[in-house]
Amino acid sequence: MSTKTSVHVSLEQAKRLVEYLETDQQDKADELIAEIQSPINTALFAEIGKLTRQLHDSLSNFHLDSRLNDLATADIPDAKERLNFVISRTEEAANKTMDAVETIFPVVDSIQQQINTVKPLWHKLMHNELDISEFKALCRDIDILLKTTEKETNKIHGLMTDVLMAQDFQDLTGQVIRKVIDLVREVEDSLINMLTAFGMDSEQEKTTHLPKVGENLVEGPIMNSENRQDVVSDQDDVDDLLSSLGF
Amino acid sequence: MFSPEGALDKNMKVLVVDDFSTMRRIIKNLLRDLGFTNISEADDGSTALPMLKEGDFDFVVTDWNMPGMQGIDLLKAIRADGKLSHIPVLMVTAEAKKEQIVMAAQAGVNGYIVKPFTAATLNTKLDKIFERLG
Repeated sequence: MSTKTSVHVSLEQAKRLVEYLETDQQDKADELIAEIQSPINTALFAEIGKLTRQLHDSLSNFHLDSRLNDLATADIPDAKERLNFVISRTEEAANKTMDAVETIFPVVDSIQQQINTVKPLWHKLMHNELDISEFKALCRDIDILLKTTEKETNKIHGLMTDVLMAQDFQDLTGQVIRKVIDLVREVEDSLINMLTAFGMDSEQEKTTHLPKVGENLVEGPIMNSENRQDVVSDQDDVDDLLSSLGF
Repeated sequence: MFSPEGALDKNMKVLVVDDFSTMRRIIKNLLRDLGFTNISEADDGSTALPMLKEGDFDFVVTDWNMPGMQGIDLLKAIRADGKLSHIPVLMVTAEAKKEQIVMAAQAGVNGYIVKPFTAATLNTKLDKIFERLG
């Protein structure tokens, strides 16, 4: 609102005021003063009226957003639980997979070892250099190899099925994360509504803030490294940077 | 740490430091696949440091972002301790800011791998680190 007073007392008004005062007509003098000031009052009242309406709207909008309360007391704690579920399910899946893989490694190694045992005699056989006693030994080794391979491939097959089934977390965690994303979107909308209700322009406030970093600049995995100048995008970038430093 | 022929001693004592047990397990498996058998684990710098001071470790693989003592602080502590300062340190981390990589280099890191990484990358970096030291 303009603070400039636009009151102009005319000579005629001044004369009348003097006349009222001289003739002891106090009421009329007051009236005249009010009349002279009235343009300011009109503007002032209009402005106060506007502000009051805005305040009223803001408060009622704020009340309307009682959803915010539910978000803070129910939905967000629920989301935290959901995200913890994601952590435990993915950890469980990783461990199940590694259990299977760690069991497969030695099995494969033992088959490899038996193949290595058979190989020299097998090589001799292929070159017609095998005598009868060696042939018997080879048959024995191959018999063992076949038996182990049969047994162990069955085992590996079972373990591979375990690895396969351990991936079922993806479906569940995907659903859970999608729900949490919906919640985050809703919280975002509510916050924007609140900012708007209090007359703050969320678009105007939108700046290119970098994600918050912790101690030692810790930020964790970078989501959109192609849009950032301050991060490396892969191992080659790291190697280039280090070699530019003389590493 | 090295046999007279210059080959890498696969019996060297390795400490793997990461707050996620699954990542420790992955790194342990990869190291085992490369022939390393003497591997211990710690879940952050403050657990790792006393272990390093106690046992005669030959090599440290550490994450950066961990609760308690972070990897970069562990690295600085290792370099500041006369008895540990010779131990090569390989950082395996999701931290990818150039500033951080420079920071780690200045703190005396021997290698820096960004997650996600491959078995081949780990292998290459290990070779490079021990080739330099040898």
